[in-house]
Amino acid sequence: MIALLRTELVKAVRRTRTVVILAALIGLPTVISLAVNARGPRRPDRGEGLFRLASQSGLVIPAAILTMTSAFLLVIVSGTIIGDSVAGDAATGNLRYLLLRPVSRAKLLVAKAVVSTLLVWVATLLVVLTALVAGVALFGWHAISVPVAASESGPPQWIELTTVDLLARLAFGTLYVAFGFTALVGIGTFFSTLTDTPSGAIGASVGVYIVSEILDAITDLGSLRYGLPTHYRSVWVDTITRNSFSPDLKAGVIVQLAYGVVFLTASIVWFRRKDIRS
Amino acid sequence: MSNDVLAEVSHLSKAFGTIPAVEDLSFAVRAGEVCGLLGPNGAGKTTTLRMLVGLIAPNAGQASLFGVTVGPGCAELARVGVMVEQAAFVPHLSGMTNLRLWWEAGGGRLHDADLDGALALAGLGDSVQRKVRTYSQGMKQRLGFARLLLARPELLILDEPTNGLDPAEIKEIRNLLHRLADGGAAVLLSSHHLAEVEQTCSQVVVMSRGRLVASGPVHELRAAGATVRIEVDDPARGAALLRALPMVGQLDVEGSDLVVRMGDGRRSDLVAALVMGGVGVESVSATRDLEDVFLRLVDQSEKSRAEQDTEQTR
Repeated sequence: MIALLRTELVKAVRRTRTVVILAALIGLPTVISLAVNARGPRRPDRGEGLFRLASQSGLVIPAAILTMTSAFLLVIVSGTIIGDSVAGDAATGNLRYLLLRPVSRAKLLVAKAVVSTLLVWVATLLVVLTALVAGVALFGWHAISVPVAASESGPPQWIELTTVDLLARLAFGTLYVAFGFTALVGIGTFFSTLTDTPSGAIGASVGVYIVSEILDAITDLGSLRYGLPTHYRSVWVDTITRNSFSPDLKAGVIVQLAYGVVFLTASIVWFRRKDIRS
Repeated sequence: MSNDVLAEVSHLSKAFGTIPAVEDLSFAVRAGEVCGLLGPNGAGKTTTLRMLVGLIAPNAGQASLFGVTVGPGCAELARVGVMVEQAAFVPHLSGMTNLRLWWEAGGGRLHDADLDGALALAGLGDSVQRKVRTYSQGMKQRLGFARLLLARPELLILDEPTNGLDPAEIKEIRNLLHRLADGGAAVLLSSHHLAEVEQTCSQVVVMSRGRLVASGPVHELRAAGATVRIEVDDPARGAALLRALPMVGQLDVEGSDLVVRMGDGRRSDLVAALVMGGVGVESVSATRDLEDVFLRLVDQSEKSRAEQDTEQTR
């Protein structure tokens, strides 16, 4: 298994495309940090979300950028890595030669899924670390104050999050967001076994996430939205903006696990029976 | 199954949807044999080879390697060198990295493989360190041969192995296959190049539309397929005379030529029958290469199949 993991990792990392992805993962957080700096400070009691607090501390910048990229850039990057994992080998004809080694197909697929997961996690971490460096360089290393309870009648109560608190929440958010791509790993791997065209698998994987986001925005769907893979994507933000650890965090983990397990199992079942004609 | 059978397919069938690709196919490849798998495009050769190495699952029958039924990733694949259609690699990695990763993916270490022998055969020199995307088709094919020889295989399964190679390289590959067979290995190769099969193979399996048409030693098939072409002054009368002879298997009239597929008998008997019947004989020529045999066998099979289809339609 270790040998298979190493093989798949080398193949994935030594691509020209990987350099382009790296540039995007470093470049975009840097540009966003500069843009926030150029915009100037906002009143901390106005507006919603992490960008409201971003100019208060360089430690909030990576959290804000993580929220933004987890809906767009990281989805595309992850979809590309995962969708290409099997279909890419099939497109070059290399898949049939890989399957001529005395290795079970299930093992090979699991190795590919593990490497995809690892790369998605590294991509997420890279966004956070880049934003952290840019944020601290531009806005400094400070504690912040956040409202713990919003009130219609009276002024909100405020609590200070120390730099240690912020770093801990940032680490938690990074883990949560990275784990939040588990469903995409499962779905993308499944699509990748269905086709010999990498662009098709990538498009389908990213498409599922886009459709999920659109459906999640339709409140009339009610509780049906709770089963969508993107529904709980941003609930970790409350750990910073409201100093609150919502029960939705647990639900988010369960939904991701469910999608990951179901689709990865389906991938294995399908791939083991698939006729390799590429 | 005898001990020297290294690969065997038994009543193998496969259909893609409602389209049959291989039907009730059986043959075996023994140690020391170089066996050619012949057939026109769409005959089911590649599908058969893919079933034999576990890439495609049969609908019925079984394929076995070294006496063990083949399944995806089965252990016996470690003893087989396979090239299915064109050699394919990870294009953004070097030839050497491709060899190393492919070998290690199976759990082995590269120093256990016959790397020196494989690289000597590939003859790529320093190019083996270049990315595969810069290789010509011929270079990829040679690297493909290097890859399949890493395991010192006891059985080689090759699908159109000389595609993209120049005549000198083809000769080199032919010699290699003979050397491997002399050493006790077996080779099963499919090819469109009948002359190449004739020079390379000791056995041949002929397929048409997914079915076995004929199999056996090349020299026996050639002998059975002897064709005599007789130029005469009265083809209609000549044809009528020859059709009455028991030695004439099949007779076609092509212009002033009578093309006779011979059973047991002598060509001189054909000429004598024509002359005694008052038909003038201008020339007689005999052909008996594998191409004639192949074309005749496939033609007969197609006609037979068409007749069956017609009867079923009725």
